[in-house]
Amino acid sequence: MAEFSWDVRSPLDRALVAGPYGAQGEAGVALTEIRNFDLVQIMARRGKAADMARASKARFGAATPETPKAVGTADATLIWSGPDQFFVLSKGGRHGIEALASVFAGSAALSDQSHARVLISVSGQRARAMLAKLSSIDLHPYVFAIGSAAATSMDHTSVTLWRGGDRGGQAVFNLLVFSTFAESLWHTILDSAAEYGVTIAHSEELV
Amino acid sequence: MRIVCPFCGERELGEFTYLGDAKPQRPAPVAGEDAVYEYVYLRDNIAGSMSEHWYHGGGCRAWLKVTRNTLTHEISAVAPAAGAGAAKVGA
Repeated sequence: MAEFSWDVRSPLDRALVAGPYGAQGEAGVALTEIRNFDLVQIMARRGKAADMARASKARFGAATPETPKAVGTADATLIWSGPDQFFVLSKGGRHGIEALASVFAGSAALSDQSHARVLISVSGQRARAMLAKLSSIDLHPYVFAIGSAAATSMDHTSVTLWRGGDRGGQAVFNLLVFSTFAESLWHTILDSAAEYGVTIAHSEELV
Repeated sequence: MRIVCPFCGERELGEFTYLGDAKPQRPAPVAGEDAVYEYVYLRDNIAGSMSEHWYHGGGCRAWLKVTRNTLTHEISAVAPAAGAGAAKVGA
């Protein structure tokens, strides 16, 4: 019998080439793939949305997002993903699916999405201009402030988009995309960003 | 055409899929063959205000009930369909 040795690799392992790309000079867009995170989708059981919210508040010390928002807590981010459902994004297994199973027992169904999504962080001076080519969401700071989130489509691909805290005075947009669509969307993002110049990297740090 | 999703806000048509007339109700098992035939096959071709099912597949994946004028595309009401977003429809 053949023996297999499975490696955990990013779906962008082949496509992501760290370094500068596109127009020369100072890069207008920075693309960072965030690797090695815990992502659990929590979906309320019928009629149990209030119970789910209570359990979540007790666990994370912050109100569960009930509208398209991303809520930062001490060591996790709660991201709205649809009516009565949200993602828990964290690191280090503290809020992995096994840790959360007892918290939401009876109020919600849990689904481990840690290896089912790719997380891409988009920042830089021209990040908003680049995203405007791919998204129909109004990303103007008056409309899409820090903590705003959206379940939407980019290039016909479902994504969860939210604005994290600013870095170096600049907006940071986070994108969760299904792993199997990540490479395709990655190339589309690169094409859209090439005219501004891009720096490409990957990181293990959640931002 | 844009649809104001009750969960996501205003979104472009490309994020939605049209299902059809939201009016037909599944007949009771004892209603007879004619009622089932009508439910499955017969549709009104309305010129004017119509209640329709739309699916927000490119967004929050909720089913919506949309009241749309088929002559002008004007949308007068959008509500979650039964079962979408338990908290909002109270079911």
